[in-house]
Amino acid sequence: MLNKKLNKSLRSLFALLVLLMGVGFSTTALAADEQSSKQQAVTENPADLWRAVKAGEPGFTTYNSLESDVLINVVGNDGRLVRDTYVKPAIALSVVGVFGAFLLFYLVNGPSKLEKGFSGRMLERWDKSDIWLHWVMAVACLILMVTGIFLLLGRHFLAPYIGEGTWGAIIITCKFIHDWVGPVFIVSWLLSVIKWMPLQTFKLYDLKWFLVVGGYINFGPFKGKHPDSGFANAGEKMWFWALAIFGLFVSVSGLMLVFPNLDLPRVASMAALLIHAGSAVILIAFTIVHIWMATVLSEGGMECMVSGYCDENWAKQHHNLWYDEIKANGTLKYQDD
Amino acid sequence: MRLTRKTDTVEKVEKPGLGLNRRQFLKSASLATGGIAAASMLGSGMMRKAEAKDVPYDAPTDVIRTICSHCSVGCGIYAEVQNGVWTGQEPAFDHPFNSGGHCAKGAALREHGHGERRLKYPMKLVGGKWKKLSWDQAIEEVGQKALDIRSESGPDSVYFMGSAKFSNEQAYLYRKLAAMWGTNNVDHSARICHSTTVAGVANTWGYGAQTNSFNDIRKSKCMLFIGSNPCEAHPVAMQHILTGKERGAKIIVVDPRFTRTAAKSDEYVHIRPGTDIPFIYGLLWHIFENGWEDESFISQRVYGMERIREEVKKYPPEEVEHVVGVTKPQMHRVAKMLAETKPGTVVWCMGGTQHHIGNANTRAYCILQLALGNMGVEGGGTNIFRGHDNVQGATDFGLLFDTLPGYYGLKTGSWKHWANVWDLDYEWVKSRFDQGDYLGQDPMTSTGIPCSRWHDGVLEDKSKIAQKDNIRLAFFWGQSVNTETRGREVREALDKMDTIVVVDPFPTMAGVMHNRTDGVYLLPAATQFETYGSVSASNRSLQWRDQVITPLFESKPDHEIMYRLAKKWGIEQQTFKNIEIKGNEPLIEDLTREFNRGMWTIGYTGQSPERLKMHQQNWGTFDVESLEAPGGPARGETYGLPWPCWGTPENKHPGTQILYRTGREVKYGGGNFRARYGVEHNGTNILAEGSFSKGSEIKDGYPEFTADMLKQLGWWDDLTAEEKVHAEGKNWKTDISGGIQRVAIEHGCIPYGNAKARVVVWNFPDDIPLHREPLYTPRRDLVAKYPTYDDRMVARLPTLYKSIQEKDFAKDFPLALTSGRLVEHEGGGEETRSNPWLAELQQEMFIEMSPADAADRGIRDGDAVFVHSPEGAKIRVKAMVTPRITEGESFMPYHFAGVFESESLEKNYPQGTAPYVLGESANTVLTYGYDVVTQMQETKSSLCQISKA
Amino acid sequence: MAVMKFLCDTKRCIECNGCVTACKNENASALEWGIQRRRVVTINDGEPGEASISVACMHCTDAPCMAVCPADCFYQTDDGLILHNKDTCIGCGYCFYACPFGAPQFPKKTAFGSRGKMDKCTFCAGGPEEDFSEAERLKYGANRIAEGKLPMCAELCATKALLAGDAGVVSDIYRERMVLRNNPDTIWGYIPTVGSSN
Repeated sequence: MLNKKLNKSLRSLFALLVLLMGVGFSTTALAADEQSSKQQAVTENPADLWRAVKAGEPGFTTYNSLESDVLINVVGNDGRLVRDTYVKPAIALSVVGVFGAFLLFYLVNGPSKLEKGFSGRMLERWDKSDIWLHWVMAVACLILMVTGIFLLLGRHFLAPYIGEGTWGAIIITCKFIHDWVGPVFIVSWLLSVIKWMPLQTFKLYDLKWFLVVGGYINFGPFKGKHPDSGFANAGEKMWFWALAIFGLFVSVSGLMLVFPNLDLPRVASMAALLIHAGSAVILIAFTIVHIWMATVLSEGGMECMVSGYCDENWAKQHHNLWYDEIKANGTLKYQDD
Repeated sequence: MRLTRKTDTVEKVEKPGLGLNRRQFLKSASLATGGIAAASMLGSGMMRKAEAKDVPYDAPTDVIRTICSHCSVGCGIYAEVQNGVWTGQEPAFDHPFNSGGHCAKGAALREHGHGERRLKYPMKLVGGKWKKLSWDQAIEEVGQKALDIRSESGPDSVYFMGSAKFSNEQAYLYRKLAAMWGTNNVDHSARICHSTTVAGVANTWGYGAQTNSFNDIRKSKCMLFIGSNPCEAHPVAMQHILTGKERGAKIIVVDPRFTRTAAKSDEYVHIRPGTDIPFIYGLLWHIFENGWEDESFISQRVYGMERIREEVKKYPPEEVEHVVGVTKPQMHRVAKMLAETKPGTVVWCMGGTQHHIGNANTRAYCILQLALGNMGVEGGGTNIFRGHDNVQGATDFGLLFDTLPGYYGLKTGSWKHWANVWDLDYEWVKSRFDQGDYLGQDPMTSTGIPCSRWHDGVLEDKSKIAQKDNIRLAFFWGQSVNTETRGREVREALDKMDTIVVVDPFPTMAGVMHNRTDGVYLLPAATQFETYGSVSASNRSLQWRDQVITPLFESKPDHEIMYRLAKKWGIEQQTFKNIEIKGNEPLIEDLTREFNRGMWTIGYTGQSPERLKMHQQNWGTFDVESLEAPGGPARGETYGLPWPCWGTPENKHPGTQILYRTGREVKYGGGNFRARYGVEHNGTNILAEGSFSKGSEIKDGYPEFTADMLKQLGWWDDLTAEEKVHAEGKNWKTDISGGIQRVAIEHGCIPYGNAKARVVVWNFPDDIPLHREPLYTPRRDLVAKYPTYDDRMVARLPTLYKSIQEKDFAKDFPLALTSGRLVEHEGGGEETRSNPWLAELQQEMFIEMSPADAADRGIRDGDAVFVHSPEGAKIRVKAMVTPRITEGESFMPYHFAGVFESESLEKNYPQGTAPYVLGESANTVLTYGYDVVTQMQETKSSLCQISKA
Repeated sequence: MAVMKFLCDTKRCIECNGCVTACKNENASALEWGIQRRRVVTINDGEPGEASISVACMHCTDAPCMAVCPADCFYQTDDGLILHNKDTCIGCGYCFYACPFGAPQFPKKTAFGSRGKMDKCTFCAGGPEEDFSEAERLKYGANRIAEGKLPMCAELCATKALLAGDAGVVSDIYRERMVLRNNPDTIWGYIPTVGSSN
C-alpha cells in the first residue's frame, strides 16, 4: 500500500521532472570540442544537478524564508505518507480497537469483583494534591485526545457530513483548544511523574502479576488468582511508565509544532508530527484501558480517585503488599480517624 | 497594515503595507495626508486622492500603452487604469521588443502608481527641519538663488545635472534650458555609463550607438559579451540572446566574475579587471597569425589596420597570459570560434566603459569587429547595451557637457545652427554666456564640468578650473549622487554649495547625504507614467509612451517645472518661442517637432509625433525577427524608426535598424561608415574604396554632402525652390529643409558620406588603443611597462593620473574591486528600493568575495565586514562568499544608499520618504580615476581591503 | 478536462525574478512584505553548472498538502489546480512540512500556532469566494483564470522560461524546443518531425 502511494506521489512530481529535463536533453549538441572548458563539462552533466536537487541541496534565492533555498524536500512527503498509511489507521485502531476489545473482554469475563465484598472501612490511598493532579491531567489529556482525534481524523469522519462553515469553526476551535490545553497537560504530567515515580519502580513480584494477567480473569486456570502487588500493581506501573515516556515525546514534539518562531527545519517538524501522533496512539490505547479498569472492570477502583480512600478489602485483594506494609509501619490511616 | 521585515540591518519607524489593492490604495493616500501634514497643508493633488471613490472590479478600464522606465531594452506594457487608478498591468505580447516578457523591475512597474515613498510636495530644509512649500514659492526661491549666483559668479556656477529618465522631449528641453541660461555645465548619467563608448565608437565609424538591435541578435551565430551581464542588466534581451543560442549560436562571456550570463555561455573567459585591450589584442594576435581576418573588408572599409597589426605583435600568448591571465589554448579557441562562426556580434557594457582608458577599450572592441568583417550585417555589429530607459535619447539630445543636441558639438557653427532651429538671434544666445576667458577657454564653446566630477567643480581651487567660480548651486534633476565615486568628496561638496536643488520623484541622496541644516530644496517631479512623450531604446528606436495616470500627490512633470523656472528667469519667451504652452505645461508634440527640425546629424528628423504614435498603436504589426512591418499602416518601416531616420517625416524614411549596412539601399535603412574626419589623413585616402551601399549612384567612397557637392554632382536642381533657399551654403547637417538629405538619398547616397572606419583616432591622446594599468592596480610589476598618463587638464578640471598610480596601494589594499548591477535594482536605486515588491528581494548591501580570500581573513558567508578604500573611506556591508569571484578580486552592487560609513541617513529624509531598503553605497569606497577623453569614472578596476567587522 | 501545470525551462531561466514580482504585482491585495508565492532557486550558484529554476506551488496531481491538511481546506479544481480556503485554514503548518516545493507560506510566526492563514500560489485562480469579489481579491489575489488568462508569472517571464497552462500544451511547447535545440540548423519554428511550423 505504501509503495502504491509512493508511486502515486512520484507521479505528482511529474511536473518537476519535466521541468528539469531542460537540463537533460541537449547533451549531445555541445560535446564536440575536446578541449571544452570546465564550464561546458559541468553544464552538460545534468545528472549531478538532478541529484543535488533531489537530495535537497540548498541553492541561492533572494527569498529569505525558512528553507526557501531548497528546491525539493522529499522527506516531507514521505512523512506525510507514513502519517496517512500508518498513523491514521493506528489511531483509529487504538480508539475503536482497544475499546472494542475491552468491551468484548468485559462481556465475556465480567468485572473483577471483591471476593469478600466491601468492608466499609476506607483507607487513605491518595492525598488531596494527588487527586487534583490526577484530574487536571485527566481532563487535559481527554481534551487533547478528543481534539487531537478531530485534527487527525475529523476530516474523514465528520467533515463530509456537516457544512463547511461549521466544520471550519469546529476544527479551528479544536486547534485552539489543543494548542492551549497542551501546556496544562505538560505541567500536570511533569508534576505527576516527579511525584509518583517513587511508587512506580518495578519489583520482581511484578513479573508474576503478568503471568496471571493481574488476576482479572474470571475463568480457566487464572480464576481466583491474586498476585502480589505493592502500592501500584504491575499493570499500573506499566501505564505510568508509558505515560512518562510517551508523555515526554508527545510534549516535546507538541512544543516543536506550536513554536513556528523556532524556525525548525521541515524535516524536524515532520518528524515531530509523526512522533506526536505515534505517541498519541499509545497514550490513547493506555488511557482507554485505564478508564475501563477504573470504572467497570475493577470493583471499588474508581472510589480511590474520587475520595482518595479505598475499601480495606479492595486494598487487601489488589495491593496486598502495600496493605501489609502500611499496616506494619503504622502509616495506615482510616477515613474517619 | 501588516509589514514585517526579515532583516534588522535597517530599522524602520513605519511599516506600511506593501501590495495595495484598490481600496487600500485610497485609504493609504488619505492616511498619508493625515500622518504627514496638517490639513491646511494639503495640496490639491492629495485632496483629490482622498476624495476618490473605491474602484470596483467592473469599473470601466482604460488600457494604456506605455514603455517600462527601467532599462534601455524598451519593453512595452499595457497599463490598466480604472477611475484614474493604475489597477492592472497586462503583458504586451504583441510588442516587438519583449513579446510580453519582463524582468523583476518591469513586472513590478505598476507600483509606480502607488508611490508611497515618493516626495509628496515641494520642501525646503530650514534649521534642520523639512518645511513644505507651495510650488510658486519654491520656484521663486530656487530661481532667485540661481539669479543671485549668476550675478555674483556667472552662469557657470549653476550646474544642471540632468537625467536619463527624461523623455526625449524633456531631455531636449533641459539641454535647451541650460543653453538659454548660458552654460555648458549640463550633464547626466551617460557620463558614467557609456560616454567612453559614444566617444570611442563614434570616432571609429561615425555614430556611437548600438549598431544593430536586440532582436537582430537572434540572427547572430557567435556572441561575445565583454563587461556585459544582460541576465541582470538587460534580462529581456536574453529572450533574443537565448533564442540565438538555441539556433546554434555560440556564447562567449568575458568577465572577471562568473556571471549569470556566463552560466549560459559556451565559453567563459576570466580576465583580470582592466585588461580588455590586451585581451582583444591577444585575440587579434591569433586572428592575424592564422589569417582569419576579413581582408577584403579591411582593405575596402578600414583605415589604419597596419598600426594595429604592429601593436598586436606586442601581445603574443605569453604576454597575454601574464597580463590578462588567460591561457594560450583558451585564447586560440575563442579566436577560432569568432573567426569561424559568423556573423558574430560583440556586446559590451559598463565592464568595458568604466575605466580611465574606457574610450580605448571601446575602440578595441570595434577593431575586433572590423578585423572580422562583422560590421553592417544582420547578426553582427557591436550591440552596445545602454543602461537607463532613455539614456540613448538623453545622450542624443546632448544632455552632455561637450555638445549641443545631435552631437553638433559646441563650436560657433553648432550654436548658429541651433539658434537657427530655435528661431533665435545667435548674438542673444551668446550674450547669455560668461564672456570671460578662463585658462584659455571660452565658456560658450568649451566643454563644461562632467557629471562624474561635479564635486570637483565645487571643491577644486577656483583658480585651477576653467570657469569664473566654483559651482555654487546644482540642480540634481533625476540623478542619484551615490552613483558618483569618492563618496566623501561628494558629501563635502554637498555641504559646501550654497544651494542644493533636487528635482526628482524621490528625495535622492543629494537631498539627504549632506550635513546641512539649510539651503536644500526638494521639488517633486512626476514619473514618466504621469506624463507622455517619446523614449529612445538602446537600439535607437523611438517609442511613444502614453500617460498612464495624472501626477501623484503634488508632483509636476519635468517640462512644466522647466517652464516655471524659465519664466522666473525671464527667458520663457525665447526658450518656448515656437512651443505651445497649456497652463504652465509646454506641449510635448511641439517639442518633438522642434527637435525634428534640428537633429539632422543623427536623423532624429523623420520621427514626427504622428509617425511615432502610429507605430505605438500598431505594435503587433512588426515582426519580432526583423523588427519590420510586413504590412499594415507602417508597411516596410522598422519599429520605432531607429535613427538615422533621414529627412523630414514626409520623406517616410523607414529608420535604420542596422547601421553601415551596405547590403541595402539608404532609403530602406542601408548605409556605410561615415565620412566624419575629412577625406584624407597624412596624405592617405580615408574614403571607402570599392564599397558603397546598395543602389548608390556614386560607386565608391565620397565625402559628406554639402550644397557645393550637390552642385558639383549636378544634383542641385533636384531641390525645390524653397529647399534651395535653406540649403544654400549649408550642408546635410545644417540644411533645415532637409533637401540635401532628400536628394542624396534619392541618388542612393547617404548624406554623411562614405568613408572607411578608422582604427587610428588621431585626435585622441592614444591614437590607437594602448593598454594602461588602472590607477589603482594590483599588478605593480606591470606599471613600468603599461603606465598611465601624466596628470593633465581635461576639459575644465585638472585631472590626476600618474601621481596616483605612482603610489603602491596594492600592499595594503590587495583586492581588485569592481561594481555592477543587480537585476532587482537600478541606478542609484532610489526608485527600486522604494518599491516594496523589488526592495523585498534585495534587502542588504553586500560584497562578493572569493572563498580563498574569505578564508584568509577568517570571514564566513553572511558575516559583517568592513570594506576599506585606499582613499580612506570604510563601509560596513555583508560578505557574500561565492565561487563566482576569483581569488584576489571582489565585487559590489552600486544600487544601495542611505547609510554612509556606518551612519544611517534615514533621519535626514522627509518623513515617509525613506526607501524601504537602505545600505552603504559602493561608490563611497570607489576611487579616483577618469577617462582621459570623456571623464568616465573608473569603477571597474579599483582596489580595496576587506576585514571582519 | 484540462490539467494546469507550470514548467520551468532551466536552459532559459536567468534568475531575473520577473516571475516573483509579477506575482507580487498581480496578487498585491492578498500579499504582504515577507510572503512570496514564487521564488527562483539557483543551484550551483556562481559555479560552472549554475542553473536557476523558478518554483511555486506545482499543483500536484496527488497533492501532499491536500492530503496532510487537518482542516481539509484544500480542494482541487476541475482544471487540476490545488486551491485552498483561508477561512478553514487553521495555520498549523503541516502543508508546509509536507510540500516538496516549500510552496505554502505563513504570514506570522508567533507561539501556539498563530502562523496566520496559509498563503500559496493559486495559479492566479483566486479561491473559493465568488469570482472577482472583494473577498476573493483580499484573501487570494487575482483570478486571471476566470478572466480567461494564464498566471501572471508565466505571462511576464522575460525569456519565456516559465510556462503555464494545460499540461499537454505546455509539454508540447517544451518538446518542440528540445527538438530545435538538438537540431540548431533547422529553420526556427519549423519542426522536422511533424513537418509543421509554430
